[in-house]
Amino acid sequence: MNNDNFLQNLTKICGSQNISQDPKDLKDYSKDLSFLKGKSPLCIVWPSKSQDVTKIVKLANNLKFFVIPVSSDSKFKHHGDSLPKKDNCIILNLSRMNKVLSIDRKNRVVMVEPGVTFDQLVPILKKKGLRLLLPLNPTASRSVLSTALEREPITIPKYHWDSSDPLLCTEIVFGTGDLFRTGTAAGPGTIKQQQKMGQAQVNPMGPTQFSPFRVIQGAQGSLGVVTWVTLKLELLPSTQKVYHFQSDNIQDILDLQYELLKYRLCDELVILNNINLACLLKQNQQEISELVRTLEKWNLIYIISGRGPLAKDRISYLEGDIDEIIAELGLNFSEPNVEISDKEILHFLNEPCGKPWRMRLKGAYQDILFLTSFEKIPKFISLMEANYEKEFGVYIQPINQGTSYHVEFDLHYEPENDNVVKTIKEKILDIGNRLMDSGAFFSRPYGIWAKDVFSHHSAETIDALKKVKKIFDPNNVLNPGVLCFDD
Amino acid sequence: MLEKEILKEFQDIVGVENIDDGEVMTNAYAYNWCIEFVNYMEDKEPIPFSPIPKAVILPSSTEEVQKVVQLCNKYRIKFKAQSTGLGPWNQPSTDNSVILDLRRMNKIVKIDVKNLYAVVEPYVSGAQLQAETMKYGLNIHMPGAGPMASTLASHTSMAGPGFTSPQTGYSARNVLGTEWVLPTGEILRLGSFGLKNEPDWYSGDGPGPSLRGIMRGWVGTKSGLGVFTRVATKLFPYPCGTEYVLKGHSPIYDFKIPDFIRAYVVDCKNFKHLEKSFIRIEEEEIALICSHMSSYAVMAIFSYTLESLMDKIAFGSMKSPLVIVIAARTKREFDYKQKVMDYLMKELNLINIIGTKYEPESLFYAECLRTNLGYHGFIATGGFQSAKGQCDSAALCLRAEMKNKPLKQKYIEKGVIANDFGEGAWMTSYESGHFFHMEAPTFFDQTNVESVKGMGEYMEESNQMDLLKHLGVPFFIEGDHLHNHWGPHLMNYHNWLRKIKKIFDPNGVSDSGFYISGNEGDV
Repeated sequence: MNNDNFLQNLTKICGSQNISQDPKDLKDYSKDLSFLKGKSPLCIVWPSKSQDVTKIVKLANNLKFFVIPVSSDSKFKHHGDSLPKKDNCIILNLSRMNKVLSIDRKNRVVMVEPGVTFDQLVPILKKKGLRLLLPLNPTASRSVLSTALEREPITIPKYHWDSSDPLLCTEIVFGTGDLFRTGTAAGPGTIKQQQKMGQAQVNPMGPTQFSPFRVIQGAQGSLGVVTWVTLKLELLPSTQKVYHFQSDNIQDILDLQYELLKYRLCDELVILNNINLACLLKQNQQEISELVRTLEKWNLIYIISGRGPLAKDRISYLEGDIDEIIAELGLNFSEPNVEISDKEILHFLNEPCGKPWRMRLKGAYQDILFLTSFEKIPKFISLMEANYEKEFGVYIQPINQGTSYHVEFDLHYEPENDNVVKTIKEKILDIGNRLMDSGAFFSRPYGIWAKDVFSHHSAETIDALKKVKKIFDPNNVLNPGVLCFDD
Repeated sequence: MLEKEILKEFQDIVGVENIDDGEVMTNAYAYNWCIEFVNYMEDKEPIPFSPIPKAVILPSSTEEVQKVVQLCNKYRIKFKAQSTGLGPWNQPSTDNSVILDLRRMNKIVKIDVKNLYAVVEPYVSGAQLQAETMKYGLNIHMPGAGPMASTLASHTSMAGPGFTSPQTGYSARNVLGTEWVLPTGEILRLGSFGLKNEPDWYSGDGPGPSLRGIMRGWVGTKSGLGVFTRVATKLFPYPCGTEYVLKGHSPIYDFKIPDFIRAYVVDCKNFKHLEKSFIRIEEEEIALICSHMSSYAVMAIFSYTLESLMDKIAFGSMKSPLVIVIAARTKREFDYKQKVMDYLMKELNLINIIGTKYEPESLFYAECLRTNLGYHGFIATGGFQSAKGQCDSAALCLRAEMKNKPLKQKYIEKGVIANDFGEGAWMTSYESGHFFHMEAPTFFDQTNVESVKGMGEYMEESNQMDLLKHLGVPFFIEGDHLHNHWGPHLMNYHNWLRKIKKIFDPNGVSDSGFYISGNEGDV
């Protein structure tokens, strides 16, 4: 590749002020908080509009360089999915495309560019009586769009109608450099013309007989660069009531949450062990450790809510029905010995946090995350306990209206201690494989596990995924080295 | 008929008794409901028959389907799979084809109560599955086509709106693990079902990208991209008590109405009022059914014979009707939902006709719970089909309905379609009002050539209006001709769809008559 020609072309597209070859910048983008080591990119480019992205991806096809899309400037990247894994990569940093393009209260939908962050969007929506379907206490500086693209679980499982929620329509630049809009946003007509007719880009399916938004989701930027999305919103409740039950028996917690979700009785619903709950509630190691000691091992938190003049009536009916269910189950839960205010719980469920909450205990963490079914959760917890002698955080999130469960083990450690780092690295690979051998479904296969994940799947799956890659990114210009595309 | 040697090879797969290439059987399978106007729209003679297949094959397992598909590849014979077989989409587009009738694959594989899903084979009907899930207090999503339709077909291959969509969503969004015989004969198992160790059905997405996006879109591929042999679909809470007692005789059975169910039929002043009411009611997340129907359709859903339809003429004067059904599991829940409805009726200035001016037969409630209201569409003429089918906001759907009215009236005046005052519409909310879909059921006489032609022309003109006025994409944009026509107006999607077809079906054996061909015109 002719380096001068390449830079001249990029400058023509984005302007010299939007390109950096500063060694410090290049170094920053060659590492993240995962155990993967990245290569140094050739440069970082900040496009300002979809057309720039189209031109850059087309240029990459012509001049044979690779493009790694990055949505935000957040320094808290943990999964190695945006590290350059080959030479001749550029970082396509979309953080300057950070407009909230529209907020539609009537249709409960927002349209955002990739650079829009949680701390930017949550307060704006709140003012309009709306709320995002949030992952658990997301980092403030993270891209709202990329979180949805990564299929991160949301904390209100009853509103998780499809595993793809809250993602709706998208605008994508495929690996070929072709611009495309998915769902009803595809047309007929431009977005403006559609909106004139009352359309709100709320149907993600299609156009017609395929749904490309689904293949883009979970692709880690390897099939297309998404330049805006619409996201499903819910109305802000006026009254919320917090419940926090504890038990030393995970099965009791699981049994109750099942009933709550089956009948769609609560909004937020999360299961946390004492360590992760303490990390969410407290800010430093000492406070966290103190709280861990007073909490029981398993914690179920759920919220019931109401809105408008009949909010109290709703709360009252839900309380009555839930009490009846708990009585029928014959379960006894304890309340926490220590005072945890509703406000504290609502805060971590409704607001983003400045620094990742999982880092609060020891300064660093690695997560092992996968999907499984209701009955297998205790088995995987036991497997983890048998193979990891230290304490670890657990977060269990029912997803897709209770049809499966996101299970996450968080291994907290001191990043300064090389021996510890080495052990953690070995452990997450070893335990990850043991979990996979036992049937854990790593549906979001990030860097360190990707190869192992695909070796645990059928050849037909990998073959089909490679066909998809061939269609949308035939020259493999987008984020090479992720998933199963480079074998 | 098949050549003798080829017939023998198919017989070796499924057994002699499960394949027939005789004239009687193949001709019988060439008939289907509504094929006549599809023929007309494709510039063919408007007869109620598709091309006659070479044979009808009844496989009994995924492995047999796989072998049949492999043989089709070997001899370059196209295959068309059908489950319960409702409508023209089940018909082959060429006589170089075999029909895979999947009726022997009729098992409910699993009802996973704890993970809230069921796994079914193709010939399991909605009614059959619902009867089983009710035992656990659970419900299924049934398409508007009705309880006799295949659950698998609706979730994997067709469209999927239903009367209970406010609570049970849309078929395509309820799909989990899926077993799919690709056009090349490989068996692809989606999501967690593709695991080598302990495969299970609870997720259909990943690892990484979700192949559900290739499998289908807003509408399915209608056997244009392989054969689906098993699918896991989400289950929902049954909306009320599960006791289901029917007595008496057809067509008006006596149904024991559950304790906590109530219907509302209200008339909105105009579309603006209707939109507001629709959205407000759905925001409260209380409705099992929340459907806008034309006044004519309201007449129809309460009628069980043509004569009784005429008795309901008073409903015909309604401007913009909305049919709401609330149901509850407990008295507390029911009281709350009724209170919300009382509040909304005042806020929106609505009056409930039910209980004041009209009391439906008890069977109406059974049909609500069984998603059996759609069959009333056949009462007027025996033949009906829906134009439109766009899906997005309530405003878009209502605008499409409004603009369609004069067009429909034009064809009514020509005397080629039945007179429903031009209003015929069914519109439902999904997922508590997050999106909406509208279709315009139209009644015609399938035995009258002029009526069939008129229906075809009306459909074409209606489609074209949606395209030019940016009113969304109707249901039935399928086949090369329509994809090529619409594609350039929708980001050239047809080129991507065609690439998918080409790479997943290199020999073009999965009949693309209702999908797209890999090479244009290679249907």
